[in-house]
Amino acid sequence: MSDEANRTAPPAPDRELDPVIHAQARLRVMVALSVLREGDRLAFPRLQEMLGMTAGNLSIHLRKLEEAGYVEVVKTHQGRTPTTLIGLTRRGRLAFEEYTATVKALLSLAEEK
Amino acid sequence: MHEDPDERAPASPEETLRLIEAERAAAQRNMQPDPRLTYVPWGVAWLVGFGLLFLRLGPDGRVFVAMPGWLPLAVLYVLLIAAFVVSGVSAARAGRHVRGVSSVQGLRYGVSWAAGFASVVVIASRFSDRLPDPEVVLLWSGLSVAVVGVLYIAGAAIWQSRDMFALGGWITLVNIGGFLAGPGWHSLATSLAGGGGMLVAGFVEWLRWRRGQC
Repeated sequence: MSDEANRTAPPAPDRELDPVIHAQARLRVMVALSVLREGDRLAFPRLQEMLGMTAGNLSIHLRKLEEAGYVEVVKTHQGRTPTTLIGLTRRGRLAFEEYTATVKALLSLAEEK
Repeated sequence: MHEDPDERAPASPEETLRLIEAERAAAQRNMQPDPRLTYVPWGVAWLVGFGLLFLRLGPDGRVFVAMPGWLPLAVLYVLLIAAFVVSGVSAARAGRHVRGVSSVQGLRYGVSWAAGFASVVVIASRFSDRLPDPEVVLLWSGLSVAVVGVLYIAGAAIWQSRDMFALGGWITLVNIGGFLAGPGWHSLATSLAGGGGMLVAGFVEWLRWRRGQC
């Protein structure tokens, strides 16, 4: 694996949850994209339909995720129709795994108390 | 802006985890075809089609139920075409607007089915005129079911599906056993054990799918 994988330290329970992901709408986007197999991308309208968000709203959140380097937005052509394809980057996948692990760690910490 | 519900974080770790799991299950169900549509139509086609074949062309030339000779094969073909359409549409719906590795995999896997059956048709056709009727049926169905069993096993390797692997192995065993038992018996085995196996696989996979664990 890459260096990035090696840097994934076991989550410290006191660590802050990634603020880019820790917002209802973006978390839902990340979960939906994490279901895709690595190397797959989803067209914008399908993602929008799955999440039930408006196009404008989804664009705003995708831009934030893209700025963080978690999501890759590729504009391409399907025949003559322009298509926007969206997928998680490797970094995004790791960030999401780390986020989930931190949530679980927080949860088990709370249960221990 | 502060009240934007989209920007609101889930209230607690419990709620976050619950949200992740619910969304993941929903997304899995959305992206994976409903197993009832991918397995059950094939199971029904085999159960009914090969069942009729057994009743009309039983072992040792026995006729358990009198019916026109063309009827079992006609029913089998119609049901197989229907199964092809239903499962194909449901797989295409689940995979629509997905580009990348899995669309290439799906396409090549589809080609492997076409390649398998093209070979079956060419090989079996050559012998069809030279063999007695019961042997012709055995040749065609033995080869076809062999291709199905092997391609399910191969599909299990692509999609890492234990259920699909079990089904492919089961179909292969049933096919070999039925083939060795001879004409008539092969139809019965394919109908009950093969078709039944597909129905069971569809049900088991559906239970997983419903929970979003495919």
